[in-house]
Amino acid sequence: MQTSQYLNQLHTADKLAEEPWPEDATLYQPYEAEQILLPENASCLAVKAYLKMCNLPFSVRSCANAEHMSPGGRMTKLPFIRAGAFIFAEFEPIVNFVEQKDMAIGSWQDEDEKADMRTYVSLVENIFTMAEMYVSFKNERVYKEVTAPRNGVVFPWPLNLMQNYSKRRNALRLLKVYQWHDLEIDDVIEKVAKCCETLEYKLKESPETPFFYGDQPCELDAIAFGHLFSILTTNLPNMALAQTVQQFKHLVEFCRFIDEKYFQRSN
Amino acid sequence: MSQQTRGGAAGKEPGSKYDLTKIGARVDRVNVSGLLRTHNDYVMRAAEGLFKANNFQQLMLEAMSAKSYLHELGIFKDVSVHIDISRGPDASPQGYEVTLKGKELSRVIGSAGTEVGQNEGSLRTELTIPNILGRGESISLQGSYSSTRANDLQLKFWKPFFHTRFRENRPELSFSIFRNTDRFDISSFQTINMGYLIDFSAHTQLGVDLTHSLQYENSIRDLGLLNKSVPFAIRDHCGPKLASLVRYSVVYDNRDGTVFPTRGLLLKSINEYCGLGGNVAYTSSTAHAEVNVPLFAGFVAQFCGRVGVVRETKQTTTLPINNLFYCGGPLTLRGFKYGGAGPVIDGTAIGAQTFWCTGAHLWAPLPFAGVFKGLANNFRMHFFYNVGNSNSWTTDNMRSAFGMGLALKLAERARIELNYCVPVRRQLTDKVLNGFQFGIGYEFV
Repeated sequence: MQTSQYLNQLHTADKLAEEPWPEDATLYQPYEAEQILLPENASCLAVKAYLKMCNLPFSVRSCANAEHMSPGGRMTKLPFIRAGAFIFAEFEPIVNFVEQKDMAIGSWQDEDEKADMRTYVSLVENIFTMAEMYVSFKNERVYKEVTAPRNGVVFPWPLNLMQNYSKRRNALRLLKVYQWHDLEIDDVIEKVAKCCETLEYKLKESPETPFFYGDQPCELDAIAFGHLFSILTTNLPNMALAQTVQQFKHLVEFCRFIDEKYFQRSN
Repeated sequence: MSQQTRGGAAGKEPGSKYDLTKIGARVDRVNVSGLLRTHNDYVMRAAEGLFKANNFQQLMLEAMSAKSYLHELGIFKDVSVHIDISRGPDASPQGYEVTLKGKELSRVIGSAGTEVGQNEGSLRTELTIPNILGRGESISLQGSYSSTRANDLQLKFWKPFFHTRFRENRPELSFSIFRNTDRFDISSFQTINMGYLIDFSAHTQLGVDLTHSLQYENSIRDLGLLNKSVPFAIRDHCGPKLASLVRYSVVYDNRDGTVFPTRGLLLKSINEYCGLGGNVAYTSSTAHAEVNVPLFAGFVAQFCGRVGVVRETKQTTTLPINNLFYCGGPLTLRGFKYGGAGPVIDGTAIGAQTFWCTGAHLWAPLPFAGVFKGLANNFRMHFFYNVGNSNSWTTDNMRSAFGMGLALKLAERARIELNYCVPVRRQLTDKVLNGFQFGIGYEFV
C-alpha cells in the first residue's frame, strides 16, 4: 500500500510535466452572491487573477459544498481546481501546479528575485487571510450579521447552526495556531497597515510600471490583488480593514488597474 | 398452537397412571412475588390465562406460559412457578394457588461481546438500565466497533406495551439517539450519521403473522472521502446533509430455523421515503424472499431473491450516493468481490440505483454426519447458483456464478460460509473472485 502510494506520487509528477493544460480545467468555489466568506473570496479571486494573468482557460463552477469537496489545505481549503485527473486546493499548490507546465508567469524572474517574491507572497497570504478571518469570526457583529447567515445559507435548520459552530471553531483554532486569537482589533489593523506599507513600498520601487516586479505580472500581483480587492469591495458592518487599505492610494490604484486589465475586459 | 400440544400430550400418555386432563382444577389465587420496582398492573395479565384453566394439565400449561410471559416483560432475571392447593376459608374444592416467584433484574446490566453483522464481525459493549419507571421502560447505551472499521454509538430508550390489552400484538415504542460511521471502502468514502430515530413495532395476526416496524429518522449524514484520488462523481456528494425520513418494514417468517431452515418462507420488505424536510430526497424499497423445500435424506432446496430500487422524488436534486445498492460479494452474488458487480466510474465502484439478485441452493448435511452427532448439526454443505444484475431488469447482461462450499452456524443467528466460486457471466468492469470466498452474515441470497 505504502509503496504504491509513492509510485502514485512519482507517476503523478511525471504526468504533471507531460500533459498540457487541460481544456476543461474547472475552478470550484462557493456561491459568490449568497455564500462565500471574505477570506474564501479573497483566495478565490487571487487564484482567478493568477490564471488570467497566465492566460490559461478555465471555467468556474459554484457549488454549495465546495469546501467539503476540497482535498484540504492550510487555511481556507478554497478554491480548488480540477485539471484533468488532478485536484489542487488553495493558491500555492495551484501556482506550483501551473509552474510545472511552463506556462506560468514569472519564469523571467531569476532565482533571487523569485525567492524575494515568494517571501512577499507568503507574507501577504498569511497577514491578510488571518486578518480577514479575524474580522469574520472574531468580531461579534460581523459574525452575527454576515459570516453566520452566509455560511449557513446552504443548509437547512438545524444543520446550519451546527455547521456555523464547527466552522467558527475551526477558524478560531486556526487563529490560535497563528497566534492571532488574543489580539485586539487595533493590533490587527496595525499588522494589516504594516503589510500594506511594505507592499506600497515594493510597488513604488518600480514607479514606471503598474506591477510589483517590472512590467510583467507575477504571483505577488495575483495574491495581493485578490486580498486587497476583496477587502475593499466587501461590505461588512465593520469596515476597519477596508478603511486601512484605502489609506494606501497606490495599492487602491493597483487594484483598479488589475481589475480593469484582467477582469473587466473579459466580461 | 397450544390446542394441538395439549391434544398431543394427552394422547401421548395413554399408558401413564393419571390422565391429567381428567383431574379438575380451579385457580383460586395467583401471586406474583418479587416485585420491587415494578408496578402491579404491569404483570396483571400473567394471571389471565391461569384463571381459565379447568383441569390440571391446562393449569400446568398455563403456568408455563405465564412464566414465559413474565420473562418477555423484561423485568425478571429468573422466574419460578409454585403450585399449591389453596387453603383458607375461601378455598374452593380442587382449588389451587399459583405463585410466580420472580427475581428482578439488577439496576444496571452491562455486557460485552462479539456480534456478527452483514459481512463483518464487531465488538460490542452495552450498558442497560432496565425497568426504570416500573413498567418495563429501559435505557441502554451501546457501542460497537466492527472489523470493517465502522463504528456505532447508540443511546436507546424503549417501552414495551405487552401488559396492555394488545398483548398479542407485542407493541413496543423506542426512541434512540445514534451516531454511526460507515465505511464504503469500495467507493472510497465514508459517512457519519448522527441523529435520532423513533420506532414503533408490532405484530399482527390477521390470517398471517406479520412483524411491522414503522420508523421516523432525522439525521445528519456527513459524507467524507477516504483517499485523494476519488472520481468527481463521488466527490460531488461530499459534505453534510440533513435527512428526514419514514421507514416501514414488514416481515413474514414461518421457517423452522433462521440459519439452516428445512422448510418455510421468509418475506421481508423495507420501504423508505426521505424528504420530509431536510435536503435529501429519495424513495427506496428493498424486498428479500427465501423459500425452503425439504427433499430427501436431509437435503433442502432453497431459493432466495432480493430486489432493491432507489427512486427520485419530486424534490430530488441528486440521489444520495450512500443509499445506492452494491451488488456482489459473499452475501449477494458469490464469486464477485463485494460491490464488484455494479456500475463503475473511473475505475471506482459506485452504487446502483436498482439491483436484483437470486440464488438457488441445494443444502446437504455433511457426509458421515451421524458419526459426529451434535457437532455436525452446525455444519452444512451447499451447492449454489447465483444470478443477478445492477441497473437493469433484463437478463441480457446479467452476472452469474456457481460453486459449492461449507457453512457453519453461529449461535442460531449467523452463518459463516467458505465457498469455492466459479463466476460464469460477468461484465468487463466487474471484479470477480474465482476461487475461495469467505462470507459471514445473517441474510444471504
